Amino acid sequence: MVLEHEILPYLQWLLGGEGNALGALPRFCLVMIGLALLALVGGYVFAAARHGMLGGGDLVFQTVSSGFREMLELSPRRVWALASLAMKEAWRRRVIVALVVFFLILLFASWFLKTDNQNPAELYISFVSTATTYLVLGIALLLSAFSLPNDFKTKTIFTIVTKPVRAGEIILGRIIGFTIVCTALLVVMALCSYVFVNRSLDHEHRVEENSLTRDESGGQLLGYKGRTSLDAYHRHDVLLDAEGEGSTADGLGALRNFGHSHSIEVHGDGHQVLHAEGIMQARVPRWGRLRFLDRQGVEKERGINVGNEWTYRSFIEGNSQAAAIWLFDDIDESLASTEGGLEVGLIVEVFRTYKGIIGQAIGGAFQVRNPETGVKSGLIFFDALDDKILDIKIARKLTSTDNVDLDLFQDLVSKNGKLEIVVQCMPRSQYFGFAQPDCYLRLPDASPAWNYVKVYLSIWVQMVIVTSIGVAASALLSGPVAMMFTVSFIVLGFFRDFFVEVATGVSYGGGPVESLFRLVTQMNVVSPLEPSASTSLIKVVDAGLQGLMWSVAQVLPDFSAFSTVGFAASGFDVPIDRVLQDLTTCLAYVIGLAVIGYFLLRTREVAK
Amino acid sequence: MSEEIVVQTRALSKVYRDFWGRQKVRALKALDLEVHRGEVFGLLGPNGSGKTTTIKLILGLLFPTSGESLVFGKGANDVSKNERIGFLPEESYLYRFLNAEETLDFYARLFDMTPEVRQERVDTLIKQVGLDRARKRQLQEYSKGMTRRIGLAQALINNPDLVLLDEPTSGLDPIGTREMKDMILRLKDEGKTVIMCSHLLADVQDVCDRIAILHQGELKEMGRVDTLLKVADVTQVRARGLSKDCQNEIREVISRHNGELLEMDNPTTTLEELFLSIVRDSEARPGRRAKVEPPADGGST
Repeated sequence: MVLEHEILPYLQWLLGGEGNALGALPRFCLVMIGLALLALVGGYVFAAARHGMLGGGDLVFQTVSSGFREMLELSPRRVWALASLAMKEAWRRRVIVALVVFFLILLFASWFLKTDNQNPAELYISFVSTATTYLVLGIALLLSAFSLPNDFKTKTIFTIVTKPVRAGEIILGRIIGFTIVCTALLVVMALCSYVFVNRSLDHEHRVEENSLTRDESGGQLLGYKGRTSLDAYHRHDVLLDAEGEGSTADGLGALRNFGHSHSIEVHGDGHQVLHAEGIMQARVPRWGRLRFLDRQGVEKERGINVGNEWTYRSFIEGNSQAAAIWLFDDIDESLASTEGGLEVGLIVEVFRTYKGIIGQAIGGAFQVRNPETGVKSGLIFFDALDDKILDIKIARKLTSTDNVDLDLFQDLVSKNGKLEIVVQCMPRSQYFGFAQPDCYLRLPDASPAWNYVKVYLSIWVQMVIVTSIGVAASALLSGPVAMMFTVSFIVLGFFRDFFVEVATGVSYGGGPVESLFRLVTQMNVVSPLEPSASTSLIKVVDAGLQGLMWSVAQVLPDFSAFSTVGFAASGFDVPIDRVLQDLTTCLAYVIGLAVIGYFLLRTREVAK
Repeated sequence: MSEEIVVQTRALSKVYRDFWGRQKVRALKALDLEVHRGEVFGLLGPNGSGKTTTIKLILGLLFPTSGESLVFGKGANDVSKNERIGFLPEESYLYRFLNAEETLDFYARLFDMTPEVRQERVDTLIKQVGLDRARKRQLQEYSKGMTRRIGLAQALINNPDLVLLDEPTSGLDPIGTREMKDMILRLKDEGKTVIMCSHLLADVQDVCDRIAILHQGELKEMGRVDTLLKVADVTQVRARGLSKDCQNEIREVISRHNGELLEMDNPTTTLEELFLSIVRDSEARPGRRAKVEPPADGGST
């Protein structure tokens, strides 16, 4: 799977430290202080224009001081009363329709989703998660953006603000109420989609009895080999023991294909293929640090760039000294697999300068090395297909390049628990591409069901943020305008990386005005503009706009980064650090937006 | 501010402006008034005179352009003053998807009442406003009168010391109007302060102790109702059992003292009293029809 940003340990992410100049908490405080100063200055200018300099200052002081006082006077009972009202309002608005739409999608999805995909679990999990995300975010958007404006329109807000209700309670009550409603929808969708995915991917095979051949050695029957029937667009190779049975735990049965395997039992005169196993996995990786050697064996931070492509991976050339080296920390025998060694996962992106035999794997080799003593194992060969996860078992007992027996943990792990894995490409003129997460030590798998819950937790986080934005915006804006504002936030959030690239001038084509100029004059994005007064004006305006965009980017939620669907779809466990980071970010947005919503509502004339 | 003064406004002004800050309407001009504890105070005026604007400024629903208003010594923007206030808006702006019980329970919770106290208040008020049989029906099914009654109930949910009523009898039938006026007088007897604004003069005259008359945002007159309405130079005598001779003698006495007899006739009751007595009689004796008197000239009816 692709992991463009390293997942830092939670406390390091929160407070900052090595590799993360500013922690999330200090950054949050800075943003809030910046917004507060902006609001104070803007509020004072506006108030001074209406009431004079002294009157404006007094008004701003009164607003801020009473605001802090009221925040301390929040009543949980009142907040809950308003939340209950919001839930009843959502029910009255028939949010249940979202579930009906979801069920219809699931009902007809099988017509369009084919299971001939090499990794059907990825397809199905991505599909149901995406459908859930869009539906839940849509419902959250509509509920949150129109609720308060509707209260203003029908003037029901009069009977609330004339009670001892603080503006913060109105904002919080709505956020909590709509969050509860959307959470209930999400739970139902999660349960239904989990059942849907499991039922859709479950299938049966038969053992083709006439394909079974005896596997003998020295006259002794070791087992049987054969294949299964072709079902669900695939078949499996079959490996049975001497009794004619095969358990996947022993590496027997219907061998892994299309991302799963089956155990096989003797049934009467024939065999029975049991249900698919491992369709939904939750691999728990332990990642290391990657560095490269170029073709001369010189250490580099990155490998070769094979063209103007996505730079997530860099490449090593085959049949040369070029290598990708991962350094793992804190290795000890507690990480040993059931066979006593280590399990390694490796994802290879293959770049071919010549096609060769299409569909044939490209050979590679790796070694295990002690970074302290330099002792390394002999070459362990593997066959790599593009973008496939290779599960490699490193045995406890290995031999060195000098044919000396080695113990993995005694000889190849250094005294301070470090271990290196060195990967090379064998054929000349072919390349292997790697990113840091592409090699990992595989720890015991986590629960796929719990992993599924964590994926839906990331959807929940997005939903809560959308709800908070909608409620805060609707404290000042009308319903349709609040909805458009929230939609803009969502869209910009999904394209935040591109937005930041434009804001920082990294992307081609310059800033917004320059891009528009290039578009209108049909210029390419690379050629520099002719020096002129208009070019200078464009640059100046763009500098201002880009500054504004950069400021906005600091508060934009990165919706694309929140999604952890990729983890589950690729069969990886969502790290708990990631879950905690997302929940903390969500809390930060709720707090910030609740404060903003409070001041917007507080300073608004209710009866105007 | 003395304990006796519940509401006080000082030079309270409101100018409605457009988005660009240009003046559109001067709704209230430098209003100074005081409302004392335990009185029923009426704000009178034609449509657009600033009555509702005054109420909204007192409640903090609008911000004053200049001046200030104090309620129980606290500024209009101080939310804590609302603990002692009940407000019945011109239309009952309530959540139509709730029923009566849910509505009152919701507003009671906004006063941080415990469940036991809430239950007791809700039951009492529903019975008090006569909606016991309709407590489980959603408000969208209520008639205008029923909606006003539940609106009144929510205004009284916290047993407020100050009740503000905006056009309380607007849209009500004579029975509803009478009940509303009786309720206002009952509130006064309980020691509560009531501010009501209305353009229905007869209703205000029946219940208010003091009134303020607004016109085009300005205070034109303020004082006690009985004092303001008294016609100083006319004497009214009402007597029973006077014979024709006695009436003639009274005429002569007035003439001897150079007085001008304006009217000596049998007084009339009010249309409201007539209406109410007919309705009460009809409820007491259902099925009874009015007798239609034949015309005096013997023609057909």
